[in-house]
Amino acid sequence: MDLLNNLALGIETAFSPTNLLFCFVGVTLGTFIGVLPGIGALAAVAMLLPVSFHLEPATALVMLAGVYYGAEYGGSIASIILNIPGTPSASITCLDGHPMAQQGRAGVALFMTAIASFCGGIMGVLVMTLLSPLLSAVALSFGPTEYFSVMVLGLIAASIVSQSGALKGILMVTVGVMLSTVGVDINTGVERFTGDIIELRDGVSLVIVAMGLFGISEVVISIHGNLIERKEYKINFASFLPKRDEWVRSIGPVLRGGSIGSFFGALPGTGQTVASYIGYAIEKRVSKNSAQFGKGAIEGVMAPESANNAAAQTAFIPTLTLGIPGSTTMALMLGALMIHGIIPGPKLMTEHADLFWGLIVSFLIGNVLLLVLNIPLIGIWVRLLRVPYYLMYPTIVVLICVGVYSINNSIFDIWVTLVFGVMGYLMRIFHFEPAPLLIGFVLGSMIEEFMRRSLLLSRGDFMVFLERPISAGFLLTAALVLAWALWSSFKAQDD
Amino acid sequence: MKFRFLTLAILGLAIFIGPNLQAAEWPTKPVRIFVSFPPGGSSDLVARLLSTHLSDKFGEQFVVENKPGAGGTVAAVALKREKADGHAFMLSNLAPYSIAPTLFKKVPYDALKDFTHVSYIGTVYLGLFVSPDLGVKNLAEYVAKAKAEPGKLDFGSSGVGSWSNVVGFQFNKLANIELVSIPYKGSRPMRQDFRSGVIPIMFDALPQNIPAINDGTTVALAISAPARTRSNPDLMTFREQGFDIVAENWLGITAPAGLDPDIIDKMDMALAEIVQLPSVQEKFKFWGLVHERKTTQQFQAYVAEQIEKWKPLIISSGAKK
Repeated sequence: MDLLNNLALGIETAFSPTNLLFCFVGVTLGTFIGVLPGIGALAAVAMLLPVSFHLEPATALVMLAGVYYGAEYGGSIASIILNIPGTPSASITCLDGHPMAQQGRAGVALFMTAIASFCGGIMGVLVMTLLSPLLSAVALSFGPTEYFSVMVLGLIAASIVSQSGALKGILMVTVGVMLSTVGVDINTGVERFTGDIIELRDGVSLVIVAMGLFGISEVVISIHGNLIERKEYKINFASFLPKRDEWVRSIGPVLRGGSIGSFFGALPGTGQTVASYIGYAIEKRVSKNSAQFGKGAIEGVMAPESANNAAAQTAFIPTLTLGIPGSTTMALMLGALMIHGIIPGPKLMTEHADLFWGLIVSFLIGNVLLLVLNIPLIGIWVRLLRVPYYLMYPTIVVLICVGVYSINNSIFDIWVTLVFGVMGYLMRIFHFEPAPLLIGFVLGSMIEEFMRRSLLLSRGDFMVFLERPISAGFLLTAALVLAWALWSSFKAQDD
Repeated sequence: MKFRFLTLAILGLAIFIGPNLQAAEWPTKPVRIFVSFPPGGSSDLVARLLSTHLSDKFGEQFVVENKPGAGGTVAAVALKREKADGHAFMLSNLAPYSIAPTLFKKVPYDALKDFTHVSYIGTVYLGLFVSPDLGVKNLAEYVAKAKAEPGKLDFGSSGVGSWSNVVGFQFNKLANIELVSIPYKGSRPMRQDFRSGVIPIMFDALPQNIPAINDGTTVALAISAPARTRSNPDLMTFREQGFDIVAENWLGITAPAGLDPDIIDKMDMALAEIVQLPSVQEKFKFWGLVHERKTTQQFQAYVAEQIEKWKPLIISSGAKK
């Protein structure tokens, strides 16, 4: 009955007119921030932080959180319409979302991502409501050894994302891993591949790599004689509705994606990008429709979108219950609480029960608002497809530059983005895909860091990865996935 | 003739008082304060608090601009490139101005000659923290335990060349003990591993650990203050337990070299007033930031002295290649 009391308290807090208003402001802003390529929740939350100092702590957090998960809704819109991800975690949505748009089904794709985002978000909130204490205990049982093994599993799962053959996929993952080694090695202080450029000492940021490889390269390639005439899209509500069969086929991916996302979100330090990529990779493996992946399969849109929205919600579990933020954006939310003298930690759920449960209820409200907000907007987004390229693409390049600049206020970062844009363009000409590279980039540095830390702690004993049960479980699963991939590729050759 | 004399006189006067007039009018446009950390950290919060009060005081907006990266050197380089007209400052700190000059092979600035160190804000101290499971209550017990199990215990720090890493090695040397260093990318992931029991010992800044100390999940064996602090009087220092370690992560306001002395004075006076406000004092106490008054001259001498103080420690920690 505790739960009911807590929810009652939460409803009381979340339904106050002020909190409702700021929840609406937050999610609306989040959606638009998410749509704009390069400008992510981090920049928006950072800009709103000073505003939040003047609000009640619960109200401040309701608004900032709204921006955060609202951005995950918006992120996929540009992926589908333009093949340019609004957020790094939505880059995987390009793979099937954009082909759907090319087939004239942008409205359906947008409608279904809104549904997937909503379901994923709600799953995340339910997990948070029921399992917060449990998941924070799980997060604490994850040391470097466990993180290493789960990342290995992720990397192996992700290298099968590739559509242009296993070899090219593995090659791209390797390039991504190599790129992730740029910067100062934390174990020795040695600078790797920085060329004495101080801006490279901390490595390259994920947003830069994603915007260069997916965003800039898309703009360049479309100038490249690819200016196909624009189709006339039907814009009425009926044309946005998916076929009955697509509804049915979406149920599995949404549930799987949401579970995967909820898990990865609760692990501090993994985040939405890892969640959506692994969600996609696993869906591609288990789906009956896997041959259609990359050609506009609805499953390939539903799974990652459900995963990243679930992860955006459960990311609040370690932040609030352990005081351990998984990302810089989450650290900002902690900052917003701390300026009001509230210390996140195990006691937050009891000492500030109104805040914790109010936030959870506001997540439910926010997700409903996002669904209601996003469906009417589909018509507007689809109309964007009618804007001529010569107006659309310069605008996008400007937006990407502004977005990238906003991360570190650094002009240098814009140049790096352009370098990645050229690289992405060349990769496309030679039919190498950016998605495996990006996941290699995300996971590579983490794998190295966690492996070396595990080995430092075990004094160089590799058996540590097999002796710890959780770690051994992940490694075993990774071995099975790899064996399965090899077996099915041999089988494909025999046929 | 008379007329020409008058013109010259006015011109001369104008040239003479020109710079002062300009200073009198400062600030004429929004003033930027660079912060060498991403938004949300304690430095960022300090900068935002000060900028709100500075905006009220001078009637122009003081805007915080985060330029994180490369141990604060990215922000310092950006500041060096700005005009010294009083519209660009940085919330300076230990890493780019006291550690980087020794740590990095190439630093594209001189921490003293390329900057005007305007005003001292305060300092944060470092602590040696252990898990309650380790069963030690003070440095003597800790050293005894480390000596009983040489090479068995691990200590965490925020990466090679960070102040926590340097002080960690300094302490091992002074106590003549052997511990294995586990470097992290900053305090956040380190505290995560500390909480889950992966590492039993860590060197970290005090403020973010105060809640865990209060709820008993973290034991603070010693802090790097010269004497016990007013905000946490029950925490023992290294010095009182026989180890001469004082480490200060100072915060200050710094401008490019050649800032007009009038602007320096105005800025320093304004900040000296602001940090005395009860509401600011209260926040500083909450963030574990200890303020004391240093004049601009004292602050500049302090920055120079800190570079020399850290140099041998960084080298002996093995961080300097």
